[in-house]
Amino acid sequence: MRTLHRIFYAEILKLKRSRLGFILILSPLMAAMLGVMYNLNAEQPGAWPILLSQMAMAHAVLFLPLLSGVLSAFICRYEHANGGWKQLLSLPVSRTGVYISKYVVVATLLLATQLIFMGAVLFIGLLKGIAEPVPWLMLVNSVLNGWLASLPLIALQMLMAIAWASFAAPLAVNVILTLPNLMVIQSKYGIYYPWGQPSLAMLPQNDSFGINVSLETLLFVIGGSFVLFVLAGLAYINRKEI
Amino acid sequence: MSDAFVQTTQLTKRYGSRTAVNQINLELNKQDIYGFLGPNGAGKTTTIRMLLGLIRPTSGSIRMFGKSFPKSRMDVLKKVGSLVESPSYYGHLNACENLETIRRIIDVPAARIDEVLSIVGLTKDAKRVVKGYSLGMRQRLGIAAALLGSPELLILDEPTNGLDPAGILEMRELIKSLPDQYGITVLVSSHLLSEIEQMANRVGIIQHGSILFQDSLEMLQRQAKHHIRLAVSDPRQAAHTISTWGIHAAQHEDLLTISYVPNEQVALIVQQLVQNGHSIYRIVDQRQSLEEIFLSLTGKERS
Ligand SMILES: Nc1ncnc2c1ncn2[C@@H]1O[C@H](COP(=O)(O)OP(=O)(O)OP(=O)(O)O)[C@@H](O)[C@H]1O
Ligand SMILES: [Mg+2]
Repeated sequence: MRTLHRIFYAEILKLKRSRLGFILILSPLMAAMLGVMYNLNAEQPGAWPILLSQMAMAHAVLFLPLLSGVLSAFICRYEHANGGWKQLLSLPVSRTGVYISKYVVVATLLLATQLIFMGAVLFIGLLKGIAEPVPWLMLVNSVLNGWLASLPLIALQMLMAIAWASFAAPLAVNVILTLPNLMVIQSKYGIYYPWGQPSLAMLPQNDSFGINVSLETLLFVIGGSFVLFVLAGLAYINRKEI
Repeated sequence: MSDAFVQTTQLTKRYGSRTAVNQINLELNKQDIYGFLGPNGAGKTTTIRMLLGLIRPTSGSIRMFGKSFPKSRMDVLKKVGSLVESPSYYGHLNACENLETIRRIIDVPAARIDEVLSIVGLTKDAKRVVKGYSLGMRQRLGIAAALLGSPELLILDEPTNGLDPAGILEMRELIKSLPDQYGITVLVSSHLLSEIEQMANRVGIIQHGSILFQDSLEMLQRQAKHHIRLAVSDPRQAAHTISTWGIHAAQHEDLLTISYVPNEQVALIVQQLVQNGHSIYRIVDQRQSLEEIFLSLTGKERS
């Protein structure tokens, strides 16, 4: 594990010239546009939560799950493309270390998106002149919970991205399983659905969707599935024939 | 316990019912250039992938530098540089950045990148994105990557793939210089004996996953059979005459071929043939080429 940070820096270097920045700001940008268009009464009480719900809708239900898949596929793509795996894994690195490094890179990038998203909400709220003070705790909670809830999904997507040499295949699976999100999260079993967890965690509780799960339960389920999927990914990469 | 530098014992890899590598016992000594020779599909790459820990052997064991592998995988791989099949690269990065992704992991001085780039002659193109490289340039980059960590063992799987004649020559000279200059041991695979012959001191020949021959290049050369060829005026009659002395002569058009016999017997044959009225135009002592030995070992006829 001493080499972990070295592998991590190597992964960062591989992201060079990858137009990643565009992917990261895409969803916050769309959210900002939705926020601008929304006819918000800046004087009403609870204007901030309302703005957040509006802006987080597409972001949490659609883009966050999609992004965790895109980034995972992205970080494995150049290993699949031209024999990267065989070169990387015949270096003195542990395969576990490679998995963790790639995972941490994706998780970090997703966190960056979340922070950009939070910036977008702040910007629009101030632009619209919301009367109430900025509810920092609520905002930070929302983006952090959304991020935490994406962690099992990243592990699951990473497993697919490592297993399949094709860039499109894991993405297609991801899109297909993301689309029914709105339906699934309103059902009783929504919290067990990895693709739905980010939106459950990120959208303000007891809001217009009628979603009502305790955050504790959600975090418990998320923690459990995170461990499960990471162990599956580690088992897979350590057995993979290159 | 043997003190070979690299040693495999009964190393086997099966895919379902197909045996890709069958109980092979490779033995490399320090500073060998070991030519690993075999036709397509013989099991060379599969063996090399096991040596690098990319796939698990079905059975058998590997020892490298006196350590068991893959148990001491990290310690062993620190001393190994490799190029397996086609060269690996990240197309969106330039040569320096490609090498830097490796350097960050193996932790060698940054100056080493310029060194290996100049060894393989890529200094000029080092800042170009590798996507735009020719096959030969990628191959050079692959070699540079393999050399980056100053390995004790260099494993090269068909390293001259895609190189032009000048590139092949350079590669050969580079490989030949490694043991003396840097004390590196080299395992180089190829399906061309002529190539191995010009650089290896030890040869292992593999076919259908099994080792057919493993020894020094000299021993391989010594296996070469001599033939004596005679061009005579009436080959059919001459073959008959010779066979009455118990020596078989094969006739190909106007040439007679007899297997190797001592000098006195050659003299006798000539004398008798002349006495029987044959004109002898030519006597040639012909040695079987290594290529022919290889082909007869691997059971393939020259087409
Ligand atoms: N993943 C795999 N699944 C099934 N069979 C395999 C696999 N990898 C290799 N083989 C088989 O193992 C045998 C040896 O293949 P290998 O690639 O080692 O040959 P090689 O000596 O490197 O040949 P070449 O000169 O063509 O590179 C072949 O018959 C091949 O079909
Ligand atoms: Mg091969």
